[in-house]
This record gives sequence, C-alpha cells and structure tokens, in this order.
Amino acid sequence: MQPDLERELIRKCKAGDARFYEPLVRAYEPSGLRLATGMLGNLDDARDALQDAFVKAYEALHRFDLRRPFGPWFFQILRNHCRDMLRSRQARFKLETLDENLELKPADAEKGPERVRQRSAASELLWRALEKVGFEHREILVLKELQGFRYNEIAQILDIPEGTVASRLFHARRALRDALDGMGAEFP
Amino acid sequence: MPGKVTHDDLMRFLDGELSPEEHARVQDAVATSTELAREAAIFRAVKGRFQEISFHPGTYHSSVWDEVNQHLARPIGWILAIAGAAIWAAYGVYVFLVSPVEPWEKLASGAVVIGILALLASVIWERYREWLTDPYRDIQR
Repeated sequence: MQPDLERELIRKCKAGDARFYEPLVRAYEPSGLRLATGMLGNLDDARDALQDAFVKAYEALHRFDLRRPFGPWFFQILRNHCRDMLRSRQARFKLETLDENLELKPADAEKGPERVRQRSAASELLWRALEKVGFEHREILVLKELQGFRYNEIAQILDIPEGTVASRLFHARRALRDALDGMGAEFP
Repeated sequence: MPGKVTHDDLMRFLDGELSPEEHARVQDAVATSTELAREAAIFRAVKGRFQEISFHPGTYHSSVWDEVNQHLARPIGWILAIAGAAIWAAYGVYVFLVSPVEPWEKLASGAVVIGILALLASVIWERYREWLTDPYRDIQR
C-alpha cells in the first residue's frame, strides 16, 4: 500500500470512521496471518490472534505516530498478542492442523507427487524443530525467514536495538540447527 | 588479510545486511577459512529449510474483516442499548411515582424491585470475587 494512502486512511480512522480501516486490514492480513501462524503453529489460533490484534491496533490508533509506517507497528502488536496468548495458555504451539490447512507453493503440484511428498516431510520436520526451539528463537526466525523483514524492521517489531538482531538470529539459527540435528536432519 | 569475522558479521553476510566493502571482506574470509566456510554452509542450509514452508494463506481462508468490524461496532451498540434502557427505566420510575395508586402499593412494588436488584448485584459480586481467585481462569474449557 502507498504510504500516502495508508497515512490518509489512518487519519480518517483516527477521526472515528472505522470504514476506512477495512483496506488496512485487507492489506496487512496475509502477512499478519503468516506471522501469527509461524508463531503459534496453527491457523485457527493465528486467525484469532490476527483478529484481536487488528482490534487492539484500531483502539490504539490515537497513539500511532503518522510519520511512521503502519506495518512494523501493527506487527509489534500482533507479535505481543501471540506471545501473550502462549503465556496465558489460551493457545499452544500446536501442529495438528498444519498439513490440512497450509498450502504449499502451487508450482510444487506440477513437479509431481514425489516432490510434494518430500516437501511436505521437510516442512513437517521444520515445524517440529520450530516448536522445539521456543518462542524467543521462533519469533525472530519467523520474522526473518518467513516474512523476509530487514534487520531494522525486525528491531522495530521486537523493540530491540538493531545491533542485537544479528546476535539473536545467530543463536536462533544455531538452536534450530541443533533441533533439526536431533531429529536426524543432515547438514553439510 | 581479512579482519576477524564474528558470528554477527556472518549473519549479516548471509542476510545481505552488509555494505559492499564489508560484504567483500567477509566473503574473502569465508573463502580462506575452512571453518568459516563450513559454518556459512550450515547456516545457509538452515535458511534454505524455510523455502520448504513458504506458504500461501490458502484459498479456503476468508478475511477477518467481518469479525474485526463486529468488534469495532460493538461498543457503539452497547452504548446505545444501555442509554436507551436507562432512559426507559427512568421514565418508568417517573410514571410509577406520579401515578395515582395507593402509597402502600408503591412501597411494596418498590421493595420487590429493589430486592431483586440487590440479589442480582450480590450474585454478580460473588461470581466476580470467585473469578479473581480462580487459578484455572486462563484455561479454555
């Protein structure tokens, strides 16, 4: 979404007109769902978290600084909400429904059933490893690897200094490698 | 001779977060150190694993906008409903007080209404206190 348009929509929402919130919700919904699914491990909880985060963000819009982009601010709210859900035991990182609900890239289907099966097995192994590494490591891995955020954006979302991002990523990746190693994955 | 490459440098190198000069320095170090090259290969492989779970939100997925919109509109609904009920209740009390019925009828009816409201308030208060001390309140039933 164009920054100017985004700013205008937020200005109108701040004035109390909730109709202008819809384009923002629709624009940030796909990446928000991906982020929440990565953090919570299943789509049902991710959807609940996303919904609540959008409501929280709307209620907190009066505090939002219009000079800043909406995305990182919203993702910070969403990440905090996912963490709170896991802490308050309203949700657990659970994988039961992943296979049914997460669609692999469409190109995979064209490469034959064997490739789809391989990819599905690799995917499941990675999700199980992500479950093992814990929330602190998982969140930064999701932000970097699933969402593709730059270090400065990750720093904003996690509310940490930019210089800490590389270090946290190193520890998270090492923890993930150890978890995968423990599950029999092979590395160079 | 390239300078010392830290783990943070290696992460920035793999994620494309270094300046061109820094990138070249780390690349040289990786090319000349077997240990560093092995480490870089392992972390590249870890990164590569995520290619397997890049997913689409799914075609089954419907927007959360309707639910969000319901939440946003709900406070307005509550305010209107409570305000309307309060106006009707006040009007009812006024009509009752100025009606030409006997004073004992007014007293008896008033006592019944106040009694019911007091009982309701005490039940709500008791439930609230129980909820505050419930150790399982965060568990979904």
